[in-house]
Amino acid sequence: MNTLPLILYAAAGVAYAIHFARRDPSVGRTATTLLLFGALVHTFVIGMQTMEVRHVPFANPSRAVSTFVWLLTLSYLYLELTTDERSMGVFILPVVVALQAIPAIYPGTEYVDPVLDSPWFWVHVSSLLFAYASFALAGMLGVTYMLQFKEIKKKHLGYFYTRLPSLQILDVMNSRAVTVGWLFLTVGVIVGVVWTAQARALSPGSPNLQAMSLDDPKIFVAILTWAVYSFAVFARRTLGWTGRRAARLSALGFTFVMLNLLAINYFVTTSHTFY
Amino acid sequence: MYFFLLGVSHRTAPVDLRERLDFSSRDLGAAVEAVAARPSMAESVVLSTCNRSEIYVASTDPARARDELVSFLSDYHHVPPQTFQPHLFALENSAAVAHLFRVAAGLDSLVVGEPQILGQVKDAFQSAADKRCVGPVLSNVFRWSFGVGKRVRTETALGEGAVSVSFAAVALARKIFGRLQGRHVLVVGAGEISSLTAQHLRSQGVGDIVITSRTHAHAEALAAEVGGRAVPWDGMIQALGAADIVLTATGSQRPIVTRAQLEAVQGRRRSSPLFIIDVAVPRDVEPAVGDIEQVFLYNIDDLQTIVQENLSRRAAEVEHAETIVNEEVTKFMAWQRSRGAAPTVVALRQRFEAIRRAELQRLEGKLGSLPPDARARVDEITRLIVEKLLLEPTEQLKALPDEETQAAYTEAVNRLFKLHDPVGSEESRPSSSESDSGERRGR
Repeated sequence: MNTLPLILYAAAGVAYAIHFARRDPSVGRTATTLLLFGALVHTFVIGMQTMEVRHVPFANPSRAVSTFVWLLTLSYLYLELTTDERSMGVFILPVVVALQAIPAIYPGTEYVDPVLDSPWFWVHVSSLLFAYASFALAGMLGVTYMLQFKEIKKKHLGYFYTRLPSLQILDVMNSRAVTVGWLFLTVGVIVGVVWTAQARALSPGSPNLQAMSLDDPKIFVAILTWAVYSFAVFARRTLGWTGRRAARLSALGFTFVMLNLLAINYFVTTSHTFY
Repeated sequence: MYFFLLGVSHRTAPVDLRERLDFSSRDLGAAVEAVAARPSMAESVVLSTCNRSEIYVASTDPARARDELVSFLSDYHHVPPQTFQPHLFALENSAAVAHLFRVAAGLDSLVVGEPQILGQVKDAFQSAADKRCVGPVLSNVFRWSFGVGKRVRTETALGEGAVSVSFAAVALARKIFGRLQGRHVLVVGAGEISSLTAQHLRSQGVGDIVITSRTHAHAEALAAEVGGRAVPWDGMIQALGAADIVLTATGSQRPIVTRAQLEAVQGRRRSSPLFIIDVAVPRDVEPAVGDIEQVFLYNIDDLQTIVQENLSRRAAEVEHAETIVNEEVTKFMAWQRSRGAAPTVVALRQRFEAIRRAELQRLEGKLGSLPPDARARVDEITRLIVEKLLLEPTEQLKALPDEETQAAYTEAVNRLFKLHDPVGSEESRPSSSESDSGERRGR
């Protein structure tokens, strides 16, 4: 079911790349249209899965990745349609396509441990997935900022200089994405902590709940991520860490996000492994 | 009807002569009206920029129109004809169309690909249209030229990249700051480049321009010129702390802005980006300043390198743009011929339709006994046969390669089908190709 959005995303990705290279506005419009269709089909897929299992599918890691991709696509589309700036597509779409390939290849089955049957769980996961989508955007914005910065600073005005938006716009978009992401990350983490305490009282025998501490790799990396983005938000406001420093921080933060969303989810058994 | 043009441009005439024949400083509408008042001009447009004065005309008598234009130029500008005649160039029909398309595309400009020319062509056409001096011939060719200008702009990089130092500086500022509205500019040293760049920045809507110079009177003069504010020389470092864009152009033999000074104010600026344009020789700003994290330092050589790169990039695009222009000239001429074939096509269709109706009428006695739906089918079938028969000849007539062939074919078709004779009660005389309707071109 996740294959059709993948195909549309891949086609949009190719169109964004051609648009970036040739700067042909009609190809750009085609790219946006394809991406809109992809997002629409993906919405339908997630809607179907939600009806099937009676909640938004993200207890299983592949489904969580699919939901994450969906949120990332919607956030990117929001950014593109509000700024009329298409040159970011070529950086975002590879992330979208690569990640969407995971649920397309390993669909997984949605199984929910009774421990998770709480509204808090859904707030926790959806906040974090949305935060991660914002960080993915911020990370890619950071990468493009660094490319543009390098060309202007080194006085080699070349390929990216003519195609990318101004440093100021990239920095402002990066700042917004980081701030929004940080807010959702904070909400997600707090809800997680509060709800764990409640759930422990309800299901004292659950080994997962007992394992939830800072020693747990997933929780550890999440707190590390939170620390990086808290510093980014703080440093921008008080230390004047804008521009390239902010861009580097958001690229670093994004690697932690990917570590948690992919590497730890798939290869390490943690307190969050409920399947 | 002939389309032709007569004029002088930077390719044919020296600047003093172009100045004497310039229309742009005077009322363009009045000029175009004065041209149109000459008896052999059916339609006219006057295009005048600092690099060219060209008059585009549609006329049935080009030889006479040319003489009238020469006397018009002489009378209007009070310049004897022998002064400018050796510098005049005249082009006709497809050559004139090609010239207009090249002009609109920016290929004929002094600085290839400069952006203003398309707007100037549009303005020239609009002033003539306002004075009702244009008809179908010039409307079609000018409107088409706007499309060509736009196509060259979007499909090639001909107009891309700044080709003067001051524009290059402004373009860079826009890549760093995005919109320049509200940005603070500091100009150190009042010279020609300072003045030009400050004016470009002003036109981009920068917030305020602060000017300082060792000679305060120079700073005040430049401030008055660009709408800025002069501050005393010893306030320079303080002004640096508030600036986003700094332009230095003093005659100082030693750097006037050092890394240490700038690092001291960078803290106060909370490390917001600073763009320094140093156009002075020797340099006013220590090169090490460029190593500070959020400082972008460009000197005159850096800017000139950018300009050179842009110029060579534009030169590389000329061929592509010329191909587009040639393609469009071919398309336009073919479209015009296909329009020229329209009267014959219409006459041919009317002729066939008249014959069909006449035959149906003649057979009315036999067909009258048929049931209504069978009767309708007969009507439909005969109509389709006529359509099919005419399909190929219509296409062929529209696609004829040149005007001579077109005239020969028109004549042949007229004779073969007796297009000038009425059939029965139907009048099928074609309208003359000269009285062209002002139908819009469909692209």
